[in-house]
Amino acid sequence: MQIYVCVKHVPDSAANIHIVDNLKIEESVPFLLNPYDEHAVTEAVVLKNQVPGSEIIAVCLGKKDAESTLRSALAMGADRGLLVETEKVCDSMTTARALHAAIVKDGPADMILTGKESIDNEGMQTQFRIGALFDFPVVTNAVSLDIKNGNAIVTCELAGGRTRTFDLSLPCVIGAGRGLNTPIYPTFPDVVKSRKKPIETLTLPELNVPAAPGSAKIVSMTPLVQKRHPRKITGTPSAQAAEIIRILKQEAKVLS
Amino acid sequence: MTKKYDAIIIGAGVIGTPIAYELCKMGYKTLNVDKVPDAGEGSTAGSCAIVRAHYSTEDGVALAYEGFKYWLDWENYLGNVTDEKGLAKYMNTGSILVKSDGHDWRKVKKHYDAVGVKYEEWDVDTVKKHVPPIDMHKYWPVRRPEDPTFYDEPTEMLEGAIFCPEGGYVNDPALSAHNIMRAAESKGGEFMFNAEVVDIRSENGKVKGITLKDGTQIDADIVVNVGGPHSFKVNQMAEGVWEGCNIKTKALRHEVMYCPSPDGYDYLNDGYHMSDGDIGCYERPEVGNMFLIGSEDPECDPQEWVDPDEFYAGKGGKGRDNVLTDAQWKAQCYRLGKRIPSLKVPNQPKGVVDLYDVSDDWIPIYDKSDLPGFYMAVGTSGNQYKNAPVVGRMMAELIDACEKGLDHDQEPFQYEFKYTQRTLNVGFFSRKREINYDSSFSVNG
Repeated sequence: MQIYVCVKHVPDSAANIHIVDNLKIEESVPFLLNPYDEHAVTEAVVLKNQVPGSEIIAVCLGKKDAESTLRSALAMGADRGLLVETEKVCDSMTTARALHAAIVKDGPADMILTGKESIDNEGMQTQFRIGALFDFPVVTNAVSLDIKNGNAIVTCELAGGRTRTFDLSLPCVIGAGRGLNTPIYPTFPDVVKSRKKPIETLTLPELNVPAAPGSAKIVSMTPLVQKRHPRKITGTPSAQAAEIIRILKQEAKVLS
Repeated sequence: MTKKYDAIIIGAGVIGTPIAYELCKMGYKTLNVDKVPDAGEGSTAGSCAIVRAHYSTEDGVALAYEGFKYWLDWENYLGNVTDEKGLAKYMNTGSILVKSDGHDWRKVKKHYDAVGVKYEEWDVDTVKKHVPPIDMHKYWPVRRPEDPTFYDEPTEMLEGAIFCPEGGYVNDPALSAHNIMRAAESKGGEFMFNAEVVDIRSENGKVKGITLKDGTQIDADIVVNVGGPHSFKVNQMAEGVWEGCNIKTKALRHEVMYCPSPDGYDYLNDGYHMSDGDIGCYERPEVGNMFLIGSEDPECDPQEWVDPDEFYAGKGGKGRDNVLTDAQWKAQCYRLGKRIPSLKVPNQPKGVVDLYDVSDDWIPIYDKSDLPGFYMAVGTSGNQYKNAPVVGRMMAELIDACEKGLDHDQEPFQYEFKYTQRTLNVGFFSRKREINYDSSFSVNG
């Protein structure tokens, strides 16, 4: 199988992110591989282990710095990388066209994996736009994936925790959700090996990426200002622990 | 109305609280003031709280070994006081000092013999028996991942390690300071938080008290600077103190990383504290079966000296505020990844960024000052957490002796250890000393 994984170079969500001119984020913060894309890369490695002879190609649209994100994908197990280098901030239409053109030039693809969204723009469009450009079936927020009889059997999580299982013909596009797997992080020997893996740099003009018929651009951004209401939890350590468990279950609803 | 105390201690971290506790036990009425909301919530909270004996000087080893005994006797030390937050716990993992070119381990061994520190010498096979995932190849000198030679295959093996069965870490450094605060309060000590000192007042060539940011004046004949990373700013507030120090302090930004233990290795329960000069890292177990990875400040790493007020306000800018940097995340995790090849390094950095209060020779200043009544326990350089309880006692006795007329600069105070039957010349920590070139000039002290 020829498995393409689309990855994005995004700001670290743990960084102190500042907005400049109400328009863009201050880019001096650390950037890394989009966390949802880590699930996509990991699943590609699982598939490669199931289907010997497969190749994983990580594809990224971004600035020169985005090469470090491709290196992260290579250290996690991708075989080689394609960087479509641009200084522009691209909307989903252009991004999908660029990734599509890079995959067409390199392909053919048996499967295209993406994260279900990027944690910076949260557009949740790219996988669908790539699917449309290829005329491939698309599902997103995948939490399980199996290859059976030449098709992809994919379970996706819907709103409210419901799930739906699909049978997709290949090639297809799958947006990885958090429940799909536990990301496999690289060891230092993996990092050393990844340094020898090739990354091909491409540009939008050489790919003849067709201009999108429309565009969406950010005209202003405002930071989320959360109103916090701290409470002091008092009592004995065991009473405090019990109260924290109650809050996690009943208020935050992160424990059942 | 101006309040009056016998002694004001600026800082309520892990060094400030035991100084108060010991002064209270000696009958002094003390007040600790701190700009943070609770005891230990400043740079103490960011400490790795390592308890180990290896230092570059014999006095350093002796002080650490004496301090170790306090952690073993924690509840008794605290006078069995009750803390509603519970008690911090000393975790005895044992401590491995890798024999490498990055540490003068022969000197450490000599100091261990002189002080009576228990230790064993482990060859490579013994190290591997105790730390199954370890690779004992030699990687010296320490390099950065940006350097292509960082990835060179090693060809030589290390010699082994020195193992101290007595060593480990304290599981919650902020809580340990809080415990000591409660002990001090039980002896009459008072604490004031969210209170920033902006001036040290003096009169007739003697300290008179402090002024807080809101204008409150509090008087005392004794003021002790235990301001941690702010120590140099506090010294500059006191007349003639900064100028009277031959050794100065400043604030250094420092990153510590959390990386998950390899699959199948229960590092939290089976792991050791390790000091590994060959890769410029130290490690200890952390909750969640994590490796906590600190840096031993190798020469190739940039040092970032910062303004502590800007740092804590998050205004330091790129790489200078309290956000981990990708470059240092990779440097420290990949270095440990050489030693533990099955260590998995996540893409997103996780850890702690805080400040060291570093002296010119990375050895602390425990001393009086040129302003009578003004004392300092500063320049703890990332390596004095373990000594906090014994330093509290030593500083209290030093202050008491000086207040009773001792000229410590001429006749240095001699401190009698409580547990290890040894006398320490406190002049070793003098502000007037020349730079001590026996120091490692790193967190190792």
